[in-house]
Amino acid sequence: MTFRARLLLGFGAVVLVPLTVFGLRIRVVMANRLTGEYQQRVTALVSVIRADLDQRSAGIALRLAALRDAIPRDNRFRAALQGGERTYLLDYAGDAMQLAGLSLLQIQDETGRIVSSGHFRNEYDQSDPALPRLLAAAPAGTALVEARGAEAPFLALARVDSLRLGGRRFTLVGGVAVDSSFLARLTPDSELTVAIALPPDTAFGADPATQVVSAVAVPFVTSGDSARLVPARIVVSHSLSSLVALRRGVALSFLVAVLVTGLIALLLASWLSTRISRPLTALAAKTADVDMDRLDVAFDSDRSDEIGALTRLLGAMTERLRAGAARLREAERRLAMGDLARQVNHDIKNGLIPIRNVFRHFGQAAGESPDRLAAAFRDRQATVESSISYLETLASNYARLYPQPVRESCDVNAVVRDTISRVSDTGQAELRLELADGLAPARTDALVLRRILDNLIGNALDSLAARAGRVTVTTEANGQAGVRVTVADTGNGMTKDELNRAFDDFYTTKPGGTGLGLSIVRRLVLDANGALRVETRPGAGSTFIVELPVGRT
Amino acid sequence: MHSLLVLSHRRGVVVGLLAAACRAGGGGPRVELPPPAPAPGDTTCILAHGRATARDTLTLAVFDPVAAAHAPLPRNEGERLVFGQLYESLIRLDCQGRPLPGLAKSWEEASDRWAFTLRDNARFWDGAPVTARDVLASWRVRDPALAQGAVVTDDHTLTVPAAGNPFQRFADQVLAVTKAAPGGGGAWPIGTGDYWVTSGDPEALVAQPMRSGRPALKIVTAPASASRDALDAGADLLVTDDPATLEYARTLAGYTDLPLDWSRTYVLLAPGRDKALAGDLRLETLQEAVRRDARPAEWSGNGHYWFSDLSSCGLLPVRDTLGAAGRRRRIVYNQSDRSAADVAARLVGLGALGRGAVAAGVPPAAFESSLRAGGDAAYVLELPRRVYDACRAAVGLPAWGAAGTVEPLLDVRAHAIVRRGLPRMALDWDGTLRLAPP
Repeated sequence: MTFRARLLLGFGAVVLVPLTVFGLRIRVVMANRLTGEYQQRVTALVSVIRADLDQRSAGIALRLAALRDAIPRDNRFRAALQGGERTYLLDYAGDAMQLAGLSLLQIQDETGRIVSSGHFRNEYDQSDPALPRLLAAAPAGTALVEARGAEAPFLALARVDSLRLGGRRFTLVGGVAVDSSFLARLTPDSELTVAIALPPDTAFGADPATQVVSAVAVPFVTSGDSARLVPARIVVSHSLSSLVALRRGVALSFLVAVLVTGLIALLLASWLSTRISRPLTALAAKTADVDMDRLDVAFDSDRSDEIGALTRLLGAMTERLRAGAARLREAERRLAMGDLARQVNHDIKNGLIPIRNVFRHFGQAAGESPDRLAAAFRDRQATVESSISYLETLASNYARLYPQPVRESCDVNAVVRDTISRVSDTGQAELRLELADGLAPARTDALVLRRILDNLIGNALDSLAARAGRVTVTTEANGQAGVRVTVADTGNGMTKDELNRAFDDFYTTKPGGTGLGLSIVRRLVLDANGALRVETRPGAGSTFIVELPVGRT
Repeated sequence: MHSLLVLSHRRGVVVGLLAAACRAGGGGPRVELPPPAPAPGDTTCILAHGRATARDTLTLAVFDPVAAAHAPLPRNEGERLVFGQLYESLIRLDCQGRPLPGLAKSWEEASDRWAFTLRDNARFWDGAPVTARDVLASWRVRDPALAQGAVVTDDHTLTVPAAGNPFQRFADQVLAVTKAAPGGGGAWPIGTGDYWVTSGDPEALVAQPMRSGRPALKIVTAPASASRDALDAGADLLVTDDPATLEYARTLAGYTDLPLDWSRTYVLLAPGRDKALAGDLRLETLQEAVRRDARPAEWSGNGHYWFSDLSSCGLLPVRDTLGAAGRRRRIVYNQSDRSAADVAARLVGLGALGRGAVAAGVPPAAFESSLRAGGDAAYVLELPRRVYDACRAAVGLPAWGAAGTVEPLLDVRAHAIVRRGLPRMALDWDGTLRLAPP
């Protein structure tokens, strides 16, 4: 995880988590307090409704009692029952119902036949004995009934009473309508709802998740042929919509706060991380450039913070590396010179020993028998010439160790093409060129570069050992100040030990090799103020990267 | 092929197909001759209420709006009473259906045509003599088909094809002879009746007699709820079905309660053949359901209700696309008709259409459209008990009626509250009261 990402996460955790916890806590406290308050209001209203139902039931009972007393005194009613004025009988309940302030009034005879009906005048002569019987059986004598009407049935809170007239028993069923106005009178404010839940829907549709609910049980006389007494409920509910709205508002406010805070934290963290990570990134890039061959990287900083201190430490370390590298190169050079001197000594001795032996032979011949000198010369001339030739070759080889380069502008691509054109035999290898266009001229001798390429390409082809493979020569710009030439092969590659010794003089793994090729390449590159790197893996080939400075002399 | 609407004793259902429509002619239909006219001195249809005393003005109280624009065809009971004094057709039918002279003094059937001879002294209100051409011109406006077949023989005689034109039709007020008033617009059309309107005040119309010896008529319009007030205000004649008014009138010594004929019938009209309707509903108890003079529907004497057999009218059956399940289980009625509301409520109380069915009162216009659409299970409506032309009256029934069920429920009638000593009045076939000549 990057430093910037960690910084962002840290900011988020520090700012957003406490804010979210705060918001959630406020929501919970608010919900608990309001729900409790709603519950109190609902409970209070339930008590009021119970008292109101009792009061209304008592009122109905009083009115029925008044009718119970009035009907026997009405001679017209009495006569109508005896077959008199039928219309008076049919209209009686309607008139009485209005005068008594009832919404339902039914007068039945002892058989349950409707003698007169106030709320539904024309249901006369129909039989409904179950209604008064069930009302009488209801607790407290009061129940909800679904009264028939011509236009529509309606719900009523009803009671029953009875009277005797002319030796017959009549029942009075009276009640008040339980309609929207009835319920509205029970509802003190708009947030409280009072509704009737009738069987079979006693599971009233009030959702406890959205409402605070309580109920008053009321008996209910079902209608129809199988009328019976079942429990119904007057359900009081308090909508949680205001709480939901409040919650939603709080949530929205917190969301906005979280978003704004998060955005600010994001911007702040981004600015801060950029401010911190940019010099670190630059420092990392500089550090990546440091190499044994590139120790000229400058680590300067005026900063007084940790990054400045780190930069200066890296600068000092690089300086020490430079000094160490110089000493190492000097030691290597001395070691190489010693090896070379010993080698030269050995080689010259090897070349001189036959010559000294020949001259000893000549001296011996001249002292013992001068006439045999000519014959001895002829015998040993070949030996002398061979030794001289060996020494000449040796001299030539050593001379190649110390070329005299000329610094001039060099078209790298042209030199690469020229070198490739002189490769006479590539065997089964494929030789590929990938040359960059517009390459700046390198500041080196074209002959030096050709020698470098000769050696590297030759080695690459040799590493394929006459197998099929590929050698790729690539040129490309190395930033603004350099050019890079890469020779890559798919040959044997090198082990770590082989790589460590690859640039030593006279070290070779090739039969008949001199062991000076890569040593010469390394010196030529360094003399050209360039750098040489090797990437290799056994069995996967090697890549030699030559970086040369650009610019005119 | 045409459906045939047939009634059994009480219940009518579609049971057959019509072979031919009488209106379409063909085969030379037999001309039905009119019944004989009543003998002179026959007072069967005369309302008697004591010896007449001379008076200058008679006050008629009506409880429906009377509009000149409707003349001469009445649209309510008030207009029926008023227009009956102002306009006349060629003939009249008395309460027994017997023809009486009207604008025509005589008639005869010859060569399958009715020949009418106009009264010699027939005059429009403006004094212009009424000719056969005036009759034809009047018919052209209201019944072009009839006018097309009519032939004017001379100034006082015209003939009409008998085929497709029952003789009784010529008593219909729609064929009353009128001509446009010079003022046009809302002016009363000029008629040929015994009275002519001299005041256009809709609250208190005044009609003067065309001949001397008759009192002038003052027509006072009042709301139905004020019928007792009209009596208190001195009305000489009013027609009402309000039981409270009748009860009050009976307590007044100066008035007589004269029951009129059973003129209207409440029917239950159902688009389908709902089995619940066919159950035993104890319809004999219906008359107690309404607060007016009513009796169980019955047709006494010859014939039957006009709507019980419209086979000759060529009503096209309409396919029932809704079915019983597609209809609302309601008994619908015109909410302005209190008796219809009572009848519908009683039917619900009796369990018509089964438990859960309800009665539903709708405004008059909505009732009309609902009836045409037939979207409800049943309708309660009031129909005239007698019509001059059954086929013409059947046009007012919904198209699905030919494939539905019609149930006559109640016959109802109004009462005339008449001040004692008023001139004699004659009762026509359609219930129209006319002041009889002295």
